[in-house]
Amino acid sequence: MMRFILRRVLGAIPTLWVIITLSFFMLRAAPGGPFTTQRALPPQVMANLKHMYHLDEPLWEQYLRYLGNILHGNFGPSFVYRGTSVNDLIAQGFPVDIIVGGLALLLAMLIGIPLGIKAALKQNTAWDYVPMGVAMAGISIPAFVVAPLLVLVLAVKAKWLPAGGWSGGHPLYLVLPVVSLALPMVAYMARLMRGSMVEVLNSPFIRTARAKGMPERIVIYRHALKPAMMPLISFLGPATVATLTGSIVVEQIFGLPGIGRFFVNGAMNRDYTLVMGVTILYGMLIVLFNLLADVLYGLLDPRVRLS
Amino acid sequence: MKMRQTIRHVSLLMPLVALLGGCGDGGQKPHASVSHYQVSDKPALPAQQILNRRIAMSPRTLDPSLATGIPAFNVIQDLFEGLLTLSADGKLVPGLATSWDVSPDGKTYVFHLRPNAKWSNGKPLTAGDFVYAWRRVVDPATGAQYADSLSPVVNASAIIDGKKKPDTLGVEAVDAHTFKVQLVKPTPYFLTMLYNQYLFPLYKPAIEKWGDAWTRPEHMVSDGPFKLTEWVINGHLTLEKNPYYYGADKVLLQKEIEYPISEADSALSRYLAGDLDFVNNPAFPASDYDWLKQSVGDQIRVSPYYACAYLGMMVHKPPFNNRDLRLALNLVLNRKVLSNKLSGGMQIPAYSLFPPLPGYQQQVPDWASWPMDKRIAEARRLYKKAGYSKDHPLKVELLYMTEGVSTQNYMEAVSTMWNRALGSQITLRNEEWKVMLQDLQYKNAKLFWSAWVGDYPEPYTFAQQFLASFAMNYGSYNNPAYQKAVKAAAGELDTQQRYASYEAAERILNKDVPMIPLYFYKAPELVKPYVAGVENNVVALHLARYIYIRQHSEKGQ
Repeated sequence: MMRFILRRVLGAIPTLWVIITLSFFMLRAAPGGPFTTQRALPPQVMANLKHMYHLDEPLWEQYLRYLGNILHGNFGPSFVYRGTSVNDLIAQGFPVDIIVGGLALLLAMLIGIPLGIKAALKQNTAWDYVPMGVAMAGISIPAFVVAPLLVLVLAVKAKWLPAGGWSGGHPLYLVLPVVSLALPMVAYMARLMRGSMVEVLNSPFIRTARAKGMPERIVIYRHALKPAMMPLISFLGPATVATLTGSIVVEQIFGLPGIGRFFVNGAMNRDYTLVMGVTILYGMLIVLFNLLADVLYGLLDPRVRLS
Repeated sequence: MKMRQTIRHVSLLMPLVALLGGCGDGGQKPHASVSHYQVSDKPALPAQQILNRRIAMSPRTLDPSLATGIPAFNVIQDLFEGLLTLSADGKLVPGLATSWDVSPDGKTYVFHLRPNAKWSNGKPLTAGDFVYAWRRVVDPATGAQYADSLSPVVNASAIIDGKKKPDTLGVEAVDAHTFKVQLVKPTPYFLTMLYNQYLFPLYKPAIEKWGDAWTRPEHMVSDGPFKLTEWVINGHLTLEKNPYYYGADKVLLQKEIEYPISEADSALSRYLAGDLDFVNNPAFPASDYDWLKQSVGDQIRVSPYYACAYLGMMVHKPPFNNRDLRLALNLVLNRKVLSNKLSGGMQIPAYSLFPPLPGYQQQVPDWASWPMDKRIAEARRLYKKAGYSKDHPLKVELLYMTEGVSTQNYMEAVSTMWNRALGSQITLRNEEWKVMLQDLQYKNAKLFWSAWVGDYPEPYTFAQQFLASFAMNYGSYNNPAYQKAVKAAAGELDTQQRYASYEAAERILNKDVPMIPLYFYKAPELVKPYVAGVENNVVALHLARYIYIRQHSEKGQ
């Protein structure tokens, strides 16, 4: 197992290097720079700003300098948020994404998995049609529609919840962003769980178990559930990353200080170091969560030999 | 010349609010759920003197020397104060300087500072703090974007260019409470510049000790009515009353929390939900004005804003080196239709560059009062004279920036008006803001949208854009007569004569048509009825020191 993990971690290094290199040069190729403003800067001021951030050096030198810095865990200063390092911005913004994304994922699992199981067990009944119909809608309707609707109903009309803001992660402020982010995930998980559960329930070993007169509860929870979870486990790796990184729209609508907004603003402002820092973080998350999903897969299914 | 923040993205929220509100109303006019308040004239208790206000984006820095953009400008105005400041209705009033003397030649200003002025740490504020701050701005090592705004001061330009040392700047601390400024030449708008953040004093020990991090709440020392106590980037900024401010006894507000919300729609929903007390300009998309007016009534405040949108043209090369063509394009646009249909009356049709200013006589060209058919007939004649026809139409791209749905709608309407009336083939090209700026700087656009927000209430802030030497004269307009008129105005201390020169300059612009004025802005704002002390002003700056919360209770819906 350890060898497998080590191999995967080592294998991720060239992937991350490619991501860093491509991002670095693509960003520099984009027209405009961090100091391109409507108000053209006096040449001497511009020269000093460039010197301050080493932008007056040849590109390859900047690239090597950047690689050296990130090897030391230093993502450099933000070009736009003066006096703030990218490390500081990530340290400030990422916990917000972890809290909102983590809770959304948890909520999605708590609702989506039981819904999917129930629908599979009650195939072709209202228990199947209604949740699956709603799930279909949940998949089809994006967060930028769901979130304003929730704001309208629960914040503007009913005034039960705040319409946005963070307030240090106060539970009331978390409800709407978490629900907005969780809803499409609930739908995905429910449909995935239903599909795989139906497939497992129709497999020969379940038929055998039932033929032996095993109680249905045991059949489902001891024999069917574990293999039925496998597709969900595969889905959870990328889904976790997508939840943590894909909440940009939700962050924007609810005004959350997560890194998604830094990423978007950074790209618009050509804040090279900030965009790079967030890109690297996202890349590392993808590697990490895919690895976790694989390990979990191996632990649940002995037929998969990780080593 | 604050960079215009045009972050008005597409959002589905307001159509949905309208849709659902309409459903609940039996298909009548849509209404959002709105709280109503019983408001007394008396101020609320000090513990309730908290203002929740929206700013359009998180400031990139709160360093007065370095900050750019309107959101940072607004926050810094509450944290710091300069020699002069603004009254609630936007008039220049004494700030840290109680009085000033101007030499007869208009080149020397001596400011007498308040002896009781202090920093937020209780230390006395002296003239030396201004000397330090002004030298820091012009020092190229600082990288201050507004450095060249100090060019009227002796040696400023040479220092910015690295030819002289910052300590040669024409500023001097005569004594602890007397600050002297030497100008290169008489500069009538000099006093109006002094409420801008880059001319505020700075507390040297904090900057020297903390470097760029001096603006963090735990390190910042400021001299304004409020001090920074919390700053979560993209989250909120908390400003609390500064007990050492010289006028602290008149400041009622105890705390101000600023929320950076870039989406006007999100800001609106948070206002309607009761999370925000004040949503500043632009508070909502112009297209929402009518239904919102019915919903929140007097809570909407719309005031003229010292800003102008126009279409620039590269006048030094074909096809726009032809004045007949430029005038033809100018004549055809029906501004009234554009402003009324596309902004619900939230814009003022513009026929010339300088926005309205008390005492200044706008120079509107004669054709502005012609009926549209006469204008179109004349435009067609000029278009033909310029060598264009149905068989040989004008083919050019109109460049505008991606951000802002209203801009896109406006550009589509403009190009349609041209193409229908003249048979031209003007197409649209939109680009991200930074890309567009680069294209403009490299002169890669012949026809482009632009907007200008005045730095100070003086025509010069607009007039300078079309001086040949000005870096942002993207269209390369160069008319010696215009430059002469602007320079005469810029050196004239007598207001009447100065305005007369600006009027002459504006007439030259109208004749030459180096740009096509579109509209003057209005500033739409949302203010809860219990928020007092907010008055309309052309710079849409509402200083927290004048604002207070009145006693109020919610009446229900």
